[in-house]
Amino acid sequence: MDGDIKMSKNINKYLPLTESTAYILLALKQPLHGYGVMQKVEIMSENTVKIGPGTLYGAFSTLEAEGLITKAGEEDRRKLFVLTSKGQEVIKEHIRRIEILAKNGAGTGNW
Amino acid sequence: MTTITKFHWFWAWDDEKEEAWLREMSQNGWHLSSVGIPGFYKFDQGFSKDYVYRLDFIRDRKDYDNYLQLFIDTGWDHLGEMGGWQYFRMESINGENLEIYSDNESKANKYQRILLLLVIILPLVINGLMIVSRRRGISDVFGIIFIGFILIYIYGITRILMRIGKLKKKI
Repeated sequence: MDGDIKMSKNINKYLPLTESTAYILLALKQPLHGYGVMQKVEIMSENTVKIGPGTLYGAFSTLEAEGLITKAGEEDRRKLFVLTSKGQEVIKEHIRRIEILAKNGAGTGNW
Repeated sequence: MTTITKFHWFWAWDDEKEEAWLREMSQNGWHLSSVGIPGFYKFDQGFSKDYVYRLDFIRDRKDYDNYLQLFIDTGWDHLGEMGGWQYFRMESINGENLEIYSDNESKANKYQRILLLLVIILPLVINGLMIVSRRRGISDVFGIIFIGFILIYIYGITRILMRIGKLKKKI
């Protein structure tokens, strides 16, 4: 129980994620390099989210420092990253919150 | 091919003006070929093109290849580096606005990196000026240069802080 509280406290400090960060984490369920993440995010988000290389590079550094993603190898000068278990917990909690929001907003189409 | 070297001074906080100037040069058929010495730009003459230029600021050497590769994969050409400033270029089709930063928060981080460097090297700059003044004796001329330098420094830091503030408010 104490462990649960501690864990949720740890996770809450990363929340809420920006839309871009949430998509980056979702994309990194499998190991990918930067450009792979960009392409995947564009497809997943149905072109609503486009991430620039400067933004993505910075996001990778921050997320790696926070321990939400980790280096998973290298491919011709391109670093590959993948979600850590902590990163998984964070994105899962973020999605849970988004689902609550979406439930509350379900009727707005009729406004 | 005709090549020219132009001198134009831009302060660190005027990077967007620099980007606009380089784009204008390309629209007039002068394309940046390399940078090196601060303030000096080499241009090659060619057909008029709508090239968008973007300047990033990064001094990390350990991860430089991986960093550049990400930009190249995205379609940006890397033209060179000048004191941490990275010059990127991509052709804009139909006037499309091309960005390397897709949100204000990460753009603000770029200015924070510049600010950090300025703050770190300030004591070194002051120290250097002190050593020179001790050797040559403090003349009036040197005193004015010294004060002028410090004022520009403070002004620059203020401008960059203002830019960061503006970007953070837009988040």
